[in-house]
Amino acid sequence: MTLRIADVVAGDEIPTLRKVVTREDVKAYADASGDQNPLHQDDELARSVGFPGIIAHGMFTMAHLASCLVAWLGDPAALRRLRVQFRAPVFMGETIVAGGTVRAVDPETRRAILDVWVSVEREGTTEFPIRRSEAEVTLA
Amino acid sequence: MNAALEGKTYPPISFTVGEDHVRRFAAAVGDDGSFVPPTFVTAPEIASGLTRVVADQELGLDFARVLHGEQEYEWMRPVAVGETLDVRTTIESIRSKGALEFLTLRTEMRDADGATAVVGRSSLIVRGAT
Repeated sequence: MTLRIADVVAGDEIPTLRKVVTREDVKAYADASGDQNPLHQDDELARSVGFPGIIAHGMFTMAHLASCLVAWLGDPAALRRLRVQFRAPVFMGETIVAGGTVRAVDPETRRAILDVWVSVEREGTTEFPIRRSEAEVTLA
Repeated sequence: MNAALEGKTYPPISFTVGEDHVRRFAAAVGDDGSFVPPTFVTAPEIASGLTRVVADQELGLDFARVLHGEQEYEWMRPVAVGETLDVRTTIESIRSKGALEFLTLRTEMRDADGATAVVGRSSLIVRGAT
């Protein structure tokens, strides 16, 4: 069942979705997506460019954000547009949290725009691997 | 990077959405496999776009220095298991700013009827390029 427009108003916060990022998932993602950039598989190379170890693909983090939106919408077809900015790395073993806030609902087009993000807690501060990003969805 | 390649369109590829491929992708991103994850389209996008630009000797892109800056998808409709997409990538822009270079790729995926199903746009950042 797709989320109904009567149940969505501007200012609504969607339920967050958490996930622990593992080396196994990132390797599986490299194989399934075809992105074999060594930055996501080779610790030594990642360290040589200034990271403590390999980082997750930005697209892996974006996929998690899409999962969060689909869980809220109840229908993968209701996600119509997703634009993200990658602004911080995600390291292995970290917990990523996806979420968003409804910015506007248009009853005529039955579309809603959301501000969306993915955060991670690191050394006592909240970093945003994805921020200042936007989703457009259709509602039933 | 060779900025003269701005506007270049690579020959289209044919990409069939395989059931096992979708299952592996869904498992990697934590979906339950009951639907095609919307970002599954990253796989055809990479096959048509990133893979080609990395291999393009004329362009001279150093993959190890590439970071992903931005990504956008617009879905006209979800893609379905078993369908074959015609996927073509264009180098939309090549820019430089200080030690950074920026490469934007636009990838369009059309269905068997020639209708656009998905458009993807990837903005890549190349660090410390010479």
